[in-house]
Amino acid sequence: MANLNDVIKKQQQMISEPEKDTTEDVEQLVGFVVGEEEFAVPILSIQEIIKPIEWTKVPFVPDYVLGVFNLRGNVLPLIDLRKKFSSANSDIDENTRFIVMKIKGEDVAFIIDRLTSALRIPKKNILPPPDTYSNEDEIIDGVGRLDDGRIITILKIDNIIKREDIVPERD
Amino acid sequence: MDELQELLEDFLIEAFEMIEEMDQDLVELENNPDDLELLNKIFRVAHTVKGSGSFLNFDKLTHLTHHMEAVLDKARKGELKITPDIMDVILSSVDAMKAILEYIRDNGNDSAPDVDVEPIVQKLDAITKGGNTTTKEEKQNTQETKEESGKVGDFNLDEITPDNLDELDLSELSPEDLDKVLDKLVDDMNTAPEESEEDFEEVEENEENNQESSKPEENKENIPVKAQNTAPVKEEKKEISKAEQKKEIKKNIISTKEQTIRVDVRRLDQLMNLIGELVLAKNRLIKIYNDVEERYEGEKFLEELNQVVSSISIVTTDLQIAVMKTRMLPIGKVFNKFPRLVRDLSRDLHKKIKLIISGEDTELDKSIIEEIGDPLVHMIRNAVDHGIETPEERVKNGKPEEGTVWLKAYNEGNMIVIEIKDDGHGMDPEKLKQKAIEKGIITPGEAENISDKEAFMLIFKPGFSTAAKVTNVSGRGVGMDVVKTNIEKLNGIIEVDSIKGKGSTFKLKIPLTLAIIQALLVASQEDLFAIPLSNVIETVRIVEEDIYTIEGKSVLKLRNEVLPLVNMADVFEIEKVLEPEKYLYVVILGLGATKIGLIVDRFIGQEEIVIKSLGEFLKGISGIAGATIRGDGRVTLIVDVGSLMKLAKETHNKKLATDSLNEVKKKKEKPSDYTVMIVDDSAMDRKIMHQALDELGVSVIEAKDGLEALNMLKQNDVDAMLVDIEMPRMDGYTLAQEVRKYNKYRKLPLIAVTSRTTKADRVRGVEVGMNEYITKPYTKEYLQNVIKRNLHI
Repeated sequence: MANLNDVIKKQQQMISEPEKDTTEDVEQLVGFVVGEEEFAVPILSIQEIIKPIEWTKVPFVPDYVLGVFNLRGNVLPLIDLRKKFSSANSDIDENTRFIVMKIKGEDVAFIIDRLTSALRIPKKNILPPPDTYSNEDEIIDGVGRLDDGRIITILKIDNIIKREDIVPERD
Repeated sequence: MDELQELLEDFLIEAFEMIEEMDQDLVELENNPDDLELLNKIFRVAHTVKGSGSFLNFDKLTHLTHHMEAVLDKARKGELKITPDIMDVILSSVDAMKAILEYIRDNGNDSAPDVDVEPIVQKLDAITKGGNTTTKEEKQNTQETKEESGKVGDFNLDEITPDNLDELDLSELSPEDLDKVLDKLVDDMNTAPEESEEDFEEVEENEENNQESSKPEENKENIPVKAQNTAPVKEEKKEISKAEQKKEIKKNIISTKEQTIRVDVRRLDQLMNLIGELVLAKNRLIKIYNDVEERYEGEKFLEELNQVVSSISIVTTDLQIAVMKTRMLPIGKVFNKFPRLVRDLSRDLHKKIKLIISGEDTELDKSIIEEIGDPLVHMIRNAVDHGIETPEERVKNGKPEEGTVWLKAYNEGNMIVIEIKDDGHGMDPEKLKQKAIEKGIITPGEAENISDKEAFMLIFKPGFSTAAKVTNVSGRGVGMDVVKTNIEKLNGIIEVDSIKGKGSTFKLKIPLTLAIIQALLVASQEDLFAIPLSNVIETVRIVEEDIYTIEGKSVLKLRNEVLPLVNMADVFEIEKVLEPEKYLYVVILGLGATKIGLIVDRFIGQEEIVIKSLGEFLKGISGIAGATIRGDGRVTLIVDVGSLMKLAKETHNKKLATDSLNEVKKKKEKPSDYTVMIVDDSAMDRKIMHQALDELGVSVIEAKDGLEALNMLKQNDVDAMLVDIEMPRMDGYTLAQEVRKYNKYRKLPLIAVTSRTTKADRVRGVEVGMNEYITKPYTKEYLQNVIKRNLHI
């Protein structure tokens, strides 16, 4: 409950200084959980978030590409972020969601275990990816430190999937 | 400037259209050199191009067409007989004209540095002059004989046509003569009023001319008094009726002119996309109606709903056809250039060949028309070069000296068939095989096993060329390969038939459109696929014993053909979960010249589907052309038959279809190899059943409700289920429904164990897919018997 005061304070701050908060100093993100880890993506890259629906398998693709599904008449690819990030869990339960994001102009849906919340992280609290991640730095945009001490990995969504990884050029 | 640009574009469109027709007309003219109507038509083209060209300041073009016009004019007047040599010059001048026009289209001026018109102009001039001297006397003779009947003043009446009026000076004519001329002109107009756009201008011209020509009439009024009384009155009457007739003609022409408009193809494409969406929505609507019909059987509103759904479905189909038709062009557009091609080739090769074209009105989608031209050129060249023999050879074999090539187009269901047939020496399957072995295309072993029909298909293999000597016409061994690739691109099929000594027939079967297609839906294991119906030759049901193994590859003997056979699940690396059944279902696929048999697990049916892309990330997956959304909202993948064939070939080389069938066959000998799942929320009931089953020796697993059962089913290999009906979270009926949704559990025995005994309960059980119904209480033996019967132990 100690946080309650903080929240109220923050709200008051937002009301009194809305200008400051919406400027570039703050990243607006949506947080979610995949496996054990918490990730976030920029809120503006998200088209919509839906509950899981049926999909169709597609041959000759890596295991993290589950297939395609119909979203109001459009055929969208479905990527399982749990498999992509080598998480053991692949169940679908009541918390599982499809996040539809625009990547290089194309809508793509990602399966995640659970949504957490919308986040506003001041840019100064976002650090570049740590060195140990250097081999993966292409998909990690940075690491955000929340006020409550949590660490969130911010994904560089344009790099999460690559066409050449999915459909290898055959002769 | 814009206006000029527009004018230029109109000029080019018109000119190219006319030239296309002209090519054909010229060849026909060579056969009928006296056909005046043809001559006039050709003359008019040159004349129009010259006229418009000079207006647009295309001097080079004008220069050329002026000389062409002169030659044609002479021919038209009967002063020149068209010989093949003269025709060669005319044709080359038409080619030069085409080249200049193309240059204008690309560069906006007619400097066309690659085209040198001077030599052609000189030849044309020579013809004009030569023709003049040789035929002068003849002309005079004919004039004299005609003098009695058809001579008007200095002119021969027959010579005067609406087209050359402006070149003649009619002012000298007497009123009577003028009358005759006018009469004739009206007759001419009446006999040929349907003559297309450019005539419209000519009618106008004529009208002006007539007005002009009536002027001297007025001048003469005061000369002979007698004539003044009679002639002008008569003239006036005539003038009125003529004016009316002309108005009529003009109206007709205007109305036909306004019935067509040019539309940007992109707009039509957009329309086609929208209709694609509509077709999807329609399919969905029909599916929903069927669901609703089941649930509310006998309700009154169903009738109304049915009416609405059917009328929407009919209108959608009609709309689709209507828009498809707007994109259709007659194949004559492509056929038109072939008479010229055959003529030139036969002269080059010193053969005598007649080309008979039919079905040029058959319509095809614009995009297909654009793709079909090149392959057809190759096929026609091939027929002329390789098919038809030399005249000497033909005579020796007791055939008419002149060979014939037939080019025919017609509709067959959803396909258009283009047939190229020749009465040449045909193909020798043995020779073809020999050749293929020499070129290393097939092995001698393979050669023994291929049928005559398959041997003919060898000509489509890359690197195969049958002509002993390579001519500049064909024989480089690329042509037929290109044909195959192009036809495959259009999802078409090639069929070849040939009788030695009698000739060959090539049939190209091409789907009418590309965007919305008819498809055969099949299931391979749990996955559905849509196969374009245009590539499905037939479907057959076989048993495992029908599969033969030749050189370590699976084949299917179908009538007198031997087809490679592969399992679709192997091609797409689909995990096998279904046990093979007694009958196997095979789709015979045809593409270009290749045929294969594809084993699937079930035929679902035929459906109209709209092709959608899989998007940037997934497009280009081997064997998949795209996806479609079905009536139930699910996505079904569409097979790309071309790349599927390639994949199938790889699979065929490394995997026997019979092996893959046996992969799933499980060896179950003793009772403990079988697993029975008990689904019941009561621990006591589970225990009772468990004990009974233990006595049988089978393995048992337990689930507390439907949801748990479903999850366990996916993780365990279950051979039968005992299901309670009343359960929390998911009841027995729903569980049965869910289980039956999976192909692989279609035959899994589901046994309801319940105290609900009414008839309605039993019916419901059957509806959701229960196999047996055991009412509580039951004896241990009864339960054991039911299980034994269902597991066949």
